[in-house]
Amino acid sequence: MINPATTETSAIPLGAVDLTLAAGLVIAAGLISVVLRLKMEKRLLIASIRTVVQLLLVGYVLRWVFDLREIILILAFVALMIIAASREAVRRSRRTYRGMMLYALVTLTTSGLITTVTVTGIIIGAEPWYQPQYLIPLMGMVLGNSLNGISLALDSLLDQLCLKQDEVDMLLALGASRWEAARDILAESIRRGMIPIINTMMVVGIVSLPGMMTGQILQGADPAEAVKYQIVVMFMIAAATTLGCMGVVLWSYWHLFTPQHQLNVRAIHRRHE
Amino acid sequence: MTMQFDQLSITDLAVHAGERVILDQIDIELKPGKIVAVTGPSGCGKTSLLRVIAGLDPRVSGEVRFNSHTPDDIGWPKFRRQVVFLHQRPVMLEATVEENLERPHHHHAVGGRFDQTQATARLTQAGMKEGILSQAARTLSIGEQQRISLIRALLIEPAVLLLDEPTSALDEDAKAAIEEMILQEVAKRLLAVLVVTHDRQQALRFCTEPLDLATHVVREGRSFD
Repeated sequence: MINPATTETSAIPLGAVDLTLAAGLVIAAGLISVVLRLKMEKRLLIASIRTVVQLLLVGYVLRWVFDLREIILILAFVALMIIAASREAVRRSRRTYRGMMLYALVTLTTSGLITTVTVTGIIIGAEPWYQPQYLIPLMGMVLGNSLNGISLALDSLLDQLCLKQDEVDMLLALGASRWEAARDILAESIRRGMIPIINTMMVVGIVSLPGMMTGQILQGADPAEAVKYQIVVMFMIAAATTLGCMGVVLWSYWHLFTPQHQLNVRAIHRRHE
Repeated sequence: MTMQFDQLSITDLAVHAGERVILDQIDIELKPGKIVAVTGPSGCGKTSLLRVIAGLDPRVSGEVRFNSHTPDDIGWPKFRRQVVFLHQRPVMLEATVEENLERPHHHHAVGGRFDQTQATARLTQAGMKEGILSQAARTLSIGEQQRISLIRALLIEPAVLLLDEPTSALDEDAKAAIEEMILQEVAKRLLAVLVVTHDRQQALRFCTEPLDLATHVVREGRSFD
């Protein structure tokens, strides 16, 4: 078990001037965009404003949330996070079908809770397991990564089912069960969903230091201690993403193939932008 | 896993395009060694008819029975390995010809091992060389792909073939080769064939029974009987 009490808090506090200086870096990037006519300055500006507003808001919200002691309120907050993540996961794919959001919701709830609660309750051993300081940020990391994986997996799945409809039909026509006809596409979709997290795991510590670990080190924590946390977090995210991708792909398979072993490709439609 | 085949009976079948009925009251009885040619105005739903029979598209009304069993009784994969639908344009997997021919034998409902000697014999019979086995299937001409698609179906020894305009994209030579292969199979092991064609000459040349869908076309909810 990792002892949460060992991390010291001796970070140098940041003032308004420091934040303004950081903004200067983005403004410089924006100026380059103007000079080179990349037309990215507007999007950069919007993204920067959103970053500031969203993070300030979440800072205040987290202060409030971390003071919560009622399990119902904490879980309600987690539920909100899951709903937002599901919506985002579903919105990112180019095609959709009726009920996709529900499947994403069920999958994220299951995979998110299983992995996060295992970490807070058993590995970190927070007392109680729903202590918001641990549960909320970890859940956030799990959801952020899972939704990325899930949206990639869904996008790939629906794309392939539409593009390879004839292939699937041909296999079904030659006596394949729906599982036999779909298996390659399902596997490929799950694989696509897992590429980002696998890539991250492959280079972690070599190319980049993960945000959470960097944060802890900046806060003055012993790097060896921060590494332990990071390993736990990476495994938690990898497990959640894998479960999430598999869950949402299998649910979709079950939804889009009928018991008569037909591919119901008509259920899939393009998202209206 | 060959199954004794007595007949494929299609009773009072309707074909839908979305919510709308486009064909109705279709009765077909297909016995071993028979070739039924389905003709009809273009766009009347000939392809959909075959797809509904094969169960690739949902059947709203009517009945399909293999011997006396429904596909639900037999299990859809087992039904479809006996009643094989072939797409109008051949569908090849992104793989070699050999892998394409072998693939159905991995399906649980098909069973049996892929017999490479038999595959080679059939390729030769269809005017192709053995070397083609190692070629990428999608790089071949449509005519060659069509023959491979037919061989792939014949290698699993189905009782019935549902052919959708099997020669529409082909030149005369390739057309003759396909027709020859089908006729041989019908003569040799009493394969039954339901073939959709817009080519009346082919229908006459080919079939033992014609079925003109013109009388089954439904417009504005009424049938032209």
